[in-house]
Parts: sequence; C-alpha cells; structure tokens
Amino acid sequence: MQSAMVEVQTLSKEFTRGKGERIKAVNAVSLTIPKGTIYSLLGPNGAGKTTTISMISGLISPTSGDAIIGGHSITKEPLQAKRLLGVVPQEIALYPQLSARQNLEFFGKMYDLRGDVLRKRVDEALEFIDLTDRQKDKIETFSGGMKRRVNIGVGILHQPQLLYMDEPTVGIDPQNRRRILDTVMKMRDELGMTVLYTSHLMEEVQEISDQVAIIDHGELIAQGSVSDLIQQMGEEDRLILRVSTQQVSDAVLNAIRTGIDGITSASFETRMREDKSGQEGVIVIAALRGRRALPHLIAVANEHNLEIMSVEVREPDLEAVFLRLTGRALRD
Amino acid sequence: MYKILTIVWKELYLTFTNRTLLVIMVITPLALATIISLAFSQFFTGSGSDVPIRDIPVVIVNLDQGSESINYGQIFIDALVPPENATEADIADNPLFTLTNAVVFTSVEDARAAVESGEYAAAILIPADFSERIAISEDKPAIEATSVEVYASSALAIGKLVIRGIAEQLTNSIASGAITASATVEALFGQIAADALASATSGNAVAIPDGEAISAAIGDAATFASDSRNNPLQVQAESITGEAVTLNPLVLFGSSLTIFFMMFTATGSAASMLEEKRDGTLDRILVSPTPRSTILLGKMIGVFVICVFQLVMLIVALTLVGSLVSGELQFIFGTQWGLIALAVLATSMGTAGLGVISMSLVRTPEQANIVGGIISLAMGLFGGAFFAVDAIPLLQPISRLTVVWWGSDLFRKLSLGQTDILLNLAVLLGLGGVMFAIGTAIFSRRLAT
Repeated sequence: MQSAMVEVQTLSKEFTRGKGERIKAVNAVSLTIPKGTIYSLLGPNGAGKTTTISMISGLISPTSGDAIIGGHSITKEPLQAKRLLGVVPQEIALYPQLSARQNLEFFGKMYDLRGDVLRKRVDEALEFIDLTDRQKDKIETFSGGMKRRVNIGVGILHQPQLLYMDEPTVGIDPQNRRRILDTVMKMRDELGMTVLYTSHLMEEVQEISDQVAIIDHGELIAQGSVSDLIQQMGEEDRLILRVSTQQVSDAVLNAIRTGIDGITSASFETRMREDKSGQEGVIVIAALRGRRALPHLIAVANEHNLEIMSVEVREPDLEAVFLRLTGRALRD
Repeated sequence: MYKILTIVWKELYLTFTNRTLLVIMVITPLALATIISLAFSQFFTGSGSDVPIRDIPVVIVNLDQGSESINYGQIFIDALVPPENATEADIADNPLFTLTNAVVFTSVEDARAAVESGEYAAAILIPADFSERIAISEDKPAIEATSVEVYASSALAIGKLVIRGIAEQLTNSIASGAITASATVEALFGQIAADALASATSGNAVAIPDGEAISAAIGDAATFASDSRNNPLQVQAESITGEAVTLNPLVLFGSSLTIFFMMFTATGSAASMLEEKRDGTLDRILVSPTPRSTILLGKMIGVFVICVFQLVMLIVALTLVGSLVSGELQFIFGTQWGLIALAVLATSMGTAGLGVISMSLVRTPEQANIVGGIISLAMGLFGGAFFAVDAIPLLQPISRLTVVWWGSDLFRKLSLGQTDILLNLAVLLGLGGVMFAIGTAIFSRRLAT
C-alpha cells in the first residue's frame, strides 16, 4: 500500500456571518492522499472545496481538526509543511510587470531558494514549462496559455512533494489544455509528485485522476478511484441498438427484458437519424453489465429476425456519479 | 531579513518601473509646485542666494490728527509712498519704495475691504490720536499707550510678515525718536520692541506702552524726531527683508504639495496589499514557508521606503528647479543635511503610517481608491497644500491634526536655517509609528481569518 502524502483528520471550519450566525463551511472532513498519485477533489460551487484546500495549504486556520503533509502538521509546524507544498492557483497569481524569470526568482526566494540553487531551479522550471526563450519578457506580454505555464512553473519551482492545482486549464484553448494535462501526468510519473487537483471539467478529471473525492455541503460524500466510484454507485450501462425496422413487437422487448441476465429495462422508440436522412428504430436497454449481455442480445434478435444495424455501449461516467450524489451537475 | 528585503525590493521595483505612478508621484507635484511658485510670487527676478521680494501691495490709512508740532502718522506715508516728483532712480534707491507698492486710503473700511478682496497684502491703520499720544510736551511729559494696526491678508503670508515688520520698525523708531536717547530710555526701547514683537506674533496690533516711568528722562524729543539725520525709516530697512526673503516659495509650496502627493503614494502602496489579495499573489506568498509577520513587515517597510524615495527625489528635483531658475546652485531646503535626513524619515513615517492605517480599514482595492483619495485630499486641504491655513484662525487647530502641516512646517523651518524641529519630528514619528503599528496589526488579523 502506498504511504500517505496528506492525511486530513476531521477538518472543520466555521465562519461567523454578519449577525453572529455561525456557518459550518467544512464539517469533519477526513481523507487520505497517497504519495505519487493525482487526487481530484470535486464539488459544486459553495460545497466547501476551497475552504478545505485553504486549510490544507495553511492559508486559513481550521476551527478543529488537522492536516498532516509529509508528516508535518499544518497547524503545529506550518513552515515545515508548507515547504513540501506547491500551489498553482486558478487565477494567474503573478506580477504582470515582472518578467517570467523575475517572478520565478521572487517566489523561489519565498521558498528559501538562494544563489546557484535558485538559478538552477529557475532554469529547470523555465525549461519544464518551455519558456526559456521568453524568460526575460514581462508576464503582461504573454498569452493566456503562457501565463498558465508560468503559473505552474512557480508552483513546481521548489520541487514540492505535494502540488495543489486549482482549475489549471480554465479559459485556455484545447491545445494548451492538452499540454497542461500532459504536464500534470508527467509530474506524477517522472518527478513522483503528488497532485491535488480540482476542475469543473469532468472528462479531464476522469482522464488523469488516480483517486477522486466528492465534497458537498461541507462534507465528504464519496472517495475512491473513478471505476470504484462508478461501481459503488451501481450505475448501469446503456445499450443503444439501431434496428432496420420502425416497429418492434412487445414480444421481442419482453424476451430481452426477461431472457437476459442483468438487463433491467428495454424500450423501443423511433428517432431522426443523425444524418437527417429519415427515421430509424432504436431499442434502448439498461443493463448492469452491458458488454456481457451483448451476445445474448444478438441471439434474441436473431430468433425474432430482427436486423441490427449498429450497437453502442454507453458506460456510466463520473458526471453521472456526481449528479447522482449531489443532485447537481459539476458546472452548477 | 532576506525575505523582508526581497519583498521590499519587489515593492520598489513595481513602483518605480511604473511610469504612470512616477508621473503622479514625482512629476505632478514638481510641476505643480514650480508653476504655483512662479505664479504666486515674483521671486525669480534676480540671482544670488537671497531671492528678493518686491512690490508688496499695501494700503495706508492715516487717521492721525497730529499733535501741535508734528503728524507722526505721516511718517508711515513718507516712508512707503514715493513723493509725486520722485524719479525712477529715487524709487530704485529707496529699499522701502521697491519692497512695497503702497497707496493711501482715507477710509478704514475701504482699506479692510481691499485687503479682504486680496488686492492688498496688508493695511497699516494709524489711529486719530497717534501723534497726540506719542507727542511729548511740557504739559504732557509722558508717552501714552497707543497702537498701529496691521490688517493682513491671509493669502500672502510673506507679504504680511514683511509689512508687520516694517510697521514694528517704524513704530519703534518713532518712539525712539520721540524719546531722548538716554541710557535709561534705551533700556526701555528693548522692552518696547519685545512687546511689539510679542504683540505682532499674537495679533496684529503693535503696542506702545505707557511711558510714565520714563517721563523724567524725556528731553527735546520733537527736535530729535524732525532731524532728517535721525530719520528712522532709513535705519533698518535692509534687515526688515532679511529673514523672510530667504524662504524660497518652492519650499513653501513644494514641501506641502510633496507631502500631499506622498499621501496618495502611501495609501496606494498600502492598498497594494488588498490588490495582491485580490490577484492571488498575496495568497501565493502566504502559502510559502514565509511567516505572516515577515510578509507584513516587508510590505509595510516597502510603503515607508517608497515614501522616503519619493520625498528624496522631490527634494532633489525642487532644489534643481530652484537652482535652474535662479541661475546658480541653491540649497533651498538648507544645508543641515543631518536634520534634513531626519525630516525625510519622520515625514515618510508620518505619511506611511497614515496610509497603512487608512487602508487597513477598507476591504477592497476599489474602496481603497475612494478612501485614499478622500483622506489625501482632506490632509492636503487642511494641511496647507493649497492655501495658507495658518492665516485662517479657524483652520489652525485642524491643520495641526494633519501630517501635511507638520511636515511642510518642518521643511520650512529647515529652509530658514532654524533648528527647533524637535516637536515636528516627535509628532511625525510618534503619530506615524502608532498608526503604522495599529494598521499592521489590523492587516495581520485580517490575513489570519
């Protein structure tokens, strides 16, 4: 079993509103982030995600509980814990009037880097984000994607063991997004970094994450690998059978429903073809293990002389799990 | 310490590489001070270390009915108003004629109105019984108390000082001419002058006390006074202009405008804390292994150092402008370098402290802009950046609550070669230090939540 990079222990945070009303933003959240993994924290807006991460990174003090980063308590040994942590915030937290190199040098000094070590790390970071040739240009002259890369460069400059990345792909083009996602995976695979990741883009979370935690109303409601979560939730596959006829008898549908294990429902509908060339018949089937049901399904179709034009298996995704758990889409 | 210096360097770099900020911080106050100084004074006509004052507009109202032998009030007119047949050379030769541009009015009300309208710097008002009270005869062997009123304009502070000085000298001279120069009387003259000076600094009346105590020493005073060789008007005309004219208007306007603009710098620099919070760079530093106290100290020292730099740059620039205008190197802020350095530090502390505490009370950069602007303008307005607040009695106590007044008064004193600046230093350093500490504590508490 992998050892833990971060152990969050019943972390809670209360805020006081204007009229003395106490609001519990985070309620006894506990989670473990294994070393060398990409761990995504998901939650709708206002769920307590930012507050949790602010406490883990030492930006705000918890009302109760603690977070242990690499063996150091963020409340009792904040400087030691912070030394292991790198942060890539969602906003471009750089000084626009300073050059890329000056920004890296300034933040490097804040992480106690000096002299030759600082110079070497800055050079390495510039190379890593592929901006060595633009190092002397001011940030204000950079494109959005380049700024994001410098933003990442500052986060990894001191070679942290844990890197927190808050929506690092927001507002950038697909090409740069791909580049950033590759960079994140490269940091895990080549540098052995642990990455704490947040995003509103479910598909990228699903692609890169080893572990996912879902937080809502200040509480952790699910945690595990993507496949585990989907399985735990009992989400069903959907099988879409396009058939040649525009009419299917109830006998066929009953045979599908009752004659094949794992199928929970089957219905027929006609819909416009994707190329708009006319109507087509579609049988929509819900199954717990869709792929296993396929051979049986084809056998039933043959028995009833039903010509199958195409079959599509749609597996449940993280979006569906999230929707089911929180009642909201991640973008809400 | 290394991290504090790194943060301070970053603050300085960001400030002094921002052209817009530099224009606001240095070019604007420099240009304003130069323009105002040139527009409101007629100083830059000569060269040399003293900048001459000339043609101070003054009005004389002589209500004096005279005594049996002489009209002492007429002496004021003769001293300041050139005779009709005077040539330009005559006028140029007489320092009082060139120093003032005096006219005679017959109505006290008209004279006061003319001063109030700003047309004249001051009015010298001589009472009807002036000669009668001063004159000495066998029947009246003692001088009686009387006074000449100097009604001064609030706008022209230097002109007012000069006219008051002339009136004091004339009055003293008349008194000395009217009293025989015995040893006993001479001793009393010192008292008269001191009383007159005290009176002049507390109000506008120049008093002559009852002379009963010296009546025994009085001789042929009328003869003495009428002797042209004893004409008191010639005696101390040079010294009248002495102290006042060494105050360069660039110091007067430059120092107050500089501190006024420093207020904007101080509030703006302190507000950068809020901007950095909004932009995420402050949080980025806060999640690094840098103690919060180090971050705050670096930011706050940055505010202070920026103020110091701005003040030094403006002092140098104003000195250069003053030298360029006069045609030779002039240290218009004086040459007491140690005291000037102390003044720079104290004034910067005062402005930085005010900037920090005012910005600690607001939440957003937008609020900071509004509040900073209001505070700076109020400080400038009541501190004398735009007009002479000391000339308005009502505003005097309010002006003492502003950093602008204490700072500009400090540089005014240094410019005049004075060294009694302890109170100014204490106020600026004390007030600044306290505000700095409170503001920093508030910022610290806010960052922790």
